[in-house]
Amino acid sequence: MNMISEFISYPFIQRALLASVMVGILCPFVGNFVVLRRMSFYSDAISHSAFAGIAAGALLGLDLTLSSVIVAVLIAVIIAFLSEKTGLSHDTVIGIAFSGTIAAGMLVMGMLKGYRTDLFTFLFGDILSITDKDLVMIFIIGILTILILLTFLKPFLQITFNRDLARVEGISVRFFEYLLFLIIAVVITVSLKIIGMILVTSLLIVPAASAKNLASSMKRLFVLSCVFGVVSGVIGLAVSIYLNTSSGPTIVLVSILIFFITMFQKGSITSQ
Amino acid sequence: MIALHVENLCVKADNRHLIENITFSVEDGSIIAIIGPNGAGKTTLIKAILGLIPYQTGTVSLFGRPFKNNHSDIKVGYVPQRLEFDRTIPLTVSELLGFTLPPVYPVPFLKRKSAREHIEGLLKIVGAQALAQRSIGSLSGGELQRVMIAKAIVNEPKILFLDEPASGVDIEGQERFHDLIRRLNREKGLTVILISHDLNVVYRYADNVLCMNRKLICTGRPEETLTDEVIKSMYGEMMGAYIHSCHEHD
Repeated sequence: MNMISEFISYPFIQRALLASVMVGILCPFVGNFVVLRRMSFYSDAISHSAFAGIAAGALLGLDLTLSSVIVAVLIAVIIAFLSEKTGLSHDTVIGIAFSGTIAAGMLVMGMLKGYRTDLFTFLFGDILSITDKDLVMIFIIGILTILILLTFLKPFLQITFNRDLARVEGISVRFFEYLLFLIIAVVITVSLKIIGMILVTSLLIVPAASAKNLASSMKRLFVLSCVFGVVSGVIGLAVSIYLNTSSGPTIVLVSILIFFITMFQKGSITSQ
Repeated sequence: MIALHVENLCVKADNRHLIENITFSVEDGSIIAIIGPNGAGKTTLIKAILGLIPYQTGTVSLFGRPFKNNHSDIKVGYVPQRLEFDRTIPLTVSELLGFTLPPVYPVPFLKRKSAREHIEGLLKIVGAQALAQRSIGSLSGGELQRVMIAKAIVNEPKILFLDEPASGVDIEGQERFHDLIRRLNREKGLTVILISHDLNVVYRYADNVLCMNRKLICTGRPEETLTDEVIKSMYGEMMGAYIHSCHEHD
């Protein structure tokens, strides 16, 4: 008990806890749409495009978070536009963007002089290095994102259920799909420093998938996914401090453990 | 009053006409059945009217006003032929119907008492009160069709488009479904555009029929329009009009 209170007294642990709670709510909230609309590959492509943005930012001497947001949003718009205009499957367009941004990121990385440890924070994430400025940014973007999603929750869910019915009911499907793509891009980018480019998709998908295993209604899906996200974040952080392991992978492994528990729970409900 | 007027509507794909120069009008408060063989362009026609697929030439107007890309304040209901959705989606019938109602801020999942009563009333109309808390993916074909009708009329549309809504439903379910449509038409004055393959349904429920095979073949009252000659021209020489003796036109 003493050890826990001692740890919590450290400002960097307090910041990490706050960050894990905020991202634990934000990522699964948005992740529900990623899971329901089967966009996991899209979120992977966006996180990898953020890598290209970080590399470009490092080369040009820009703020790395800002440059990653700009490139991720740009790629999100390009994917949406090409999927709509070329007649190619969404999957194919994402595959092209995925490999293209990774290649561009690696190319730009090769142009950088010296060893840049700060870039690795974005690759693998480091929740313990979160600054007050990062916290404020996650908080503002988190509040804005959740407000937008709540305000337009019905059209977003209508489109998720069936695009044609949504269109007949007068919903601007194109506008809301672009908006969703942008929101996913921004959320992925601001979560990079915490969980890292390689694992960020899992924090979007795994708590939402766990919640889908148990939820019988949309309301429950949203509540459960955020609960699982926060529990994964906080327990994962505590375990990583206790075992002295990397925080990002530990958080993800805790969320996957929750996923398996919910899957077995679902199995037992189904078999009854 | 004319509820729907379609003028010279053409839809092309790969330089081939899917529908060609279709012109017709539908009176407010009537039921019109669209019939034709498979591939005749019936679904294409409805989708083009609703703005779900682009059309190359022609105009569509609802209640005297142009209707394009659904940028209109005229409310329209639609039940598609095959509803494609993720059957594992955790969504209750009540939530699905609530989507179409205005949200309650700041908690969009919350339903006003009036909205809850509205949804309950709709489910009662379609005989699906017991389904309110059921997951949408667990419904049978007939149950889903009744829920989709409830969804289509949740915003009290003036016109309802039904694309073979009773396909895949058993005979008894089909009868209940068509009776429901007739009741909505009479009680709420709803104009109904219905695609059907079943000539008995057309004779029994439709005020007017529109026969098409990419082009408009004929239009008018079923008993006057659906002659042996017309049916043979649409479906081939082996077909003719046969009305089941136990169904009388009401």
